[in-house]
Amino acid sequence: MCKKTLLYSEQEKLGAKMVAFAGWEMPVSYTNIIDEHNCVRNNVGVFDVSHMGEVFISGTDALAFLQKLVPQDISRLTALKAVYCQLTNSTGGLVDDLIIYKLEDSKYFLIVNASRLEDDLKWLYSNKLSFDVEIDNQSDNYSMLAVQGPKSVDLMEKLGLERGVQPEFFTIKKVTLAGMNLFVARTGYTGEDGFEIVIKNEDVVDVWKLLLEKGKEYGIKPIGLGARDTLRLEAALHLYGNDLNETTTPIEAGLGWSVAKNKLEDYNGKSVIMKQIKNGVEKKLVGFKMLSKIPARHDYEIYYNNEKVGWVTSGAPSPTLGENIGLAYVKTSCNINIGTIVQVMIRNKFYDAEIVKRPFVKKKNKV
Amino acid sequence: MSAPEGILCAKSHEYILEDNSLFTVGLTDYAVEQLGDIVFVELPEVGSSFVKGEVFATVESVKAASEVYAPIGGKVVEINEKLVESPETLNNEPYGDGWLVKMESETAALDSGDLLEYEDYKEEVL
Repeated sequence: MCKKTLLYSEQEKLGAKMVAFAGWEMPVSYTNIIDEHNCVRNNVGVFDVSHMGEVFISGTDALAFLQKLVPQDISRLTALKAVYCQLTNSTGGLVDDLIIYKLEDSKYFLIVNASRLEDDLKWLYSNKLSFDVEIDNQSDNYSMLAVQGPKSVDLMEKLGLERGVQPEFFTIKKVTLAGMNLFVARTGYTGEDGFEIVIKNEDVVDVWKLLLEKGKEYGIKPIGLGARDTLRLEAALHLYGNDLNETTTPIEAGLGWSVAKNKLEDYNGKSVIMKQIKNGVEKKLVGFKMLSKIPARHDYEIYYNNEKVGWVTSGAPSPTLGENIGLAYVKTSCNINIGTIVQVMIRNKFYDAEIVKRPFVKKKNKV
Repeated sequence: MSAPEGILCAKSHEYILEDNSLFTVGLTDYAVEQLGDIVFVELPEVGSSFVKGEVFATVESVKAASEVYAPIGGKVVEINEKLVESPETLNNEPYGDGWLVKMESETAALDSGDLLEYEDYKEEVL
């Protein structure tokens, strides 16, 4: 039995097509994926992402505890700043990827993947040991909406959050809008400027309606998980379960930028990760585009010089580019680089693909 | 969308329409609606043969690749080349210009036993 977010009946009214995702019944699209995708690239869209997990970490040892869990240096995070990072296991593989927001000294807020919430909590508790921290899973009490697209700034202003007081990129603010207390963060998963709004359950329907109403003049649409996937793929943002899992390290996944090189504290998997930084990795994540009209999909095999050298982790048509794009792991020993032509096996036939730079689509307005 | 009279539908969402012993095979309006934006259609070669239930085509939407099963056995005598250039035709006109293949079938009478008339199919899938 799938869980439903508090917006389920609102979404049904809007004609949403529902799918099961990470134990939740979620809208995959309301009209069609390409229109919704373009709406976020050109205007503004609102996503119900209430399935995601919200976990608060507080206590005297909150910082030390988080330092043990992630390769990022959380000590560098000042109040109300956010950082993208990963929970690593002892071999450097990934338990999950997440955003950590520092609310105040000794109090942090974690937004994690819905599909990983239970495993994350187990992992957090098993690492708690003698740390003086409270792990407070508030996922059942909070809902979350993402407002994404170049016009999201105008929309938030229309809602009463003026430009000057909007949180800056990768920061979070506690604000009161229309009498409701919300967390508003300048983060997202689309490659566009935008906000993620964390809302007490009892207020989410009101905020949803308010966004759709006030957003009309900016061309707002509700956006489903289908477009969320094509948007994040164009921006080459990883999807846990596809591009990341317990056997992929941040270095292999091309997330070396999110690993602190001079962090003094030990963290899970540190020795493996530092060794990979020094000596290199056996597989690496690359971006590719198909040179034919056939989309590559998750798990398809990659060949080079007639040898199987890797596999596709994410693949889909890019509505912005009109080409089929994807992410794949390939063996580093084969010297596959930008411009290399490899073959993707699709239904027992080979189709050429070119290794290209990530992201596939760049943000127009830098925040 | 109204379906043409006389079509028979498989529960796996393919339809057949007979005209002078030639069977036009396509996907139902319900199927294309569920698939969403279709971006690529892979059709079999003319002259290839399939038994009932065998995968004979693949339809790619933005979201996923979906297999299309032969609702009856037979030999492909014509494929809809238009879908190669304009796969969206399948979304817009599943019963018109969006047909997939035309087949000759010697086993049609036997194979179509479990196919449903459109109204019954609709009731089954909705």
